[in-house]
Amino acid sequence: MSATGETSTQLALRDPDIRLMLRVRDDDAAAFAQLVELYQHRLVAVMHHLVGHADEAEDLAQEVFLRVYRARKKYRPRSKFSTWLFTIANNLALNALRSRQRKPVVSLPAQDSGPLGPRPAEQMVPDRRSGPMQRLQKQELAALVRQALEGLNERQRMAVVLNKFEDMNYAEIAEVMGLTTKAVKSLLSRARMNLRSALSSYIYMDGESIPEDEEEN
Amino acid sequence: MNDPANLNEKERTDLVAYLDGELDGEAARELERKLHLHPAARAEADALRRTWELLDFLPRPQPSTSFTHRTVERLSPVRAREDRRVRRWRSLGLGLSWAAGLLVSGWAGYAGYNWLVPRQPGERELIHDLRIIENKRLYERMEDLDFWRALEAPDLFGDESSNT
Repeated sequence: MSATGETSTQLALRDPDIRLMLRVRDDDAAAFAQLVELYQHRLVAVMHHLVGHADEAEDLAQEVFLRVYRARKKYRPRSKFSTWLFTIANNLALNALRSRQRKPVVSLPAQDSGPLGPRPAEQMVPDRRSGPMQRLQKQELAALVRQALEGLNERQRMAVVLNKFEDMNYAEIAEVMGLTTKAVKSLLSRARMNLRSALSSYIYMDGESIPEDEEEN
Repeated sequence: MNDPANLNEKERTDLVAYLDGELDGEAARELERKLHLHPAARAEADALRRTWELLDFLPRPQPSTSFTHRTVERLSPVRAREDRRVRRWRSLGLGLSWAAGLLVSGWAGYAGYNWLVPRQPGERELIHDLRIIENKRLYERMEDLDFWRALEAPDLFGDESSNT
């Protein structure tokens, strides 16, 4: 029985991806390829937002699919298939991020950008009054947002990515991350506050008036 | 004292949940009242909403075109490993079946032999029955056990001690 009291059969009838996974369980090779085709975009995107590197994101996404394949014989539908898939992805991504912390990558200081010159983010003056949108290209803003996202701890980042890009509600995020809904609420709140303070200079774009109370904060 | 216009920690948490459509009931109504009354709270809600929208600037990364193909290719070693494991278990099962078969047939042979060929008494049984064996000649003259018991009755031959 699932958390919602549904039986496996009821879940399978409602979720076509569960039916597909049950075919994978029965060693249907075509079903596995179909499953990869179906979820690759979402999984690679989530991994990319989490680890920040395209190659690593693809490797991790592939590893998730391989784990799905290896675990196929033990698969019992208890919730939506995507929840199960992202639970595996969550475990894998958090392990990857933690092992990366143990072997930290040495980053260059801001003034030392190498032969290619300063990075777009370094060229930015975080002064919202001088019209950041005029100077900022979409790509540059993306780099800043990326930086702000990387500034979050791994659990906050995971919760944000699932909420924002996977449209998961708090209960689904809780299931994927093995937390309570209350813990997810608190995690997302802290993450949003951190993002807000990291991006506060870029919240109000050109021509937009900044609320007086916001200026005071 | 805290300025009632400012949001406290719990209200901020509720505000984020409210923006995500995850707050309902009395808590949501309470927050709506605060947002209605205090511009500072509204500004905070607006800043949070805008921050969230900034995430839309992140590119939506796409997997490479060969992703599915490469992933399916990586199954080959997994399948090979699984096949090896299945073969190993099969051969182990076969070995165990043979061993069990040998044990059963050995036991059956032993039981059959014992059933067909009566067992000769061992040394222990001989020692245990030594007195009977020694007096076998006398016992053979008795017809049954009742006669033997009758011999032990004190009044059969009279009380010899009282006669003397």
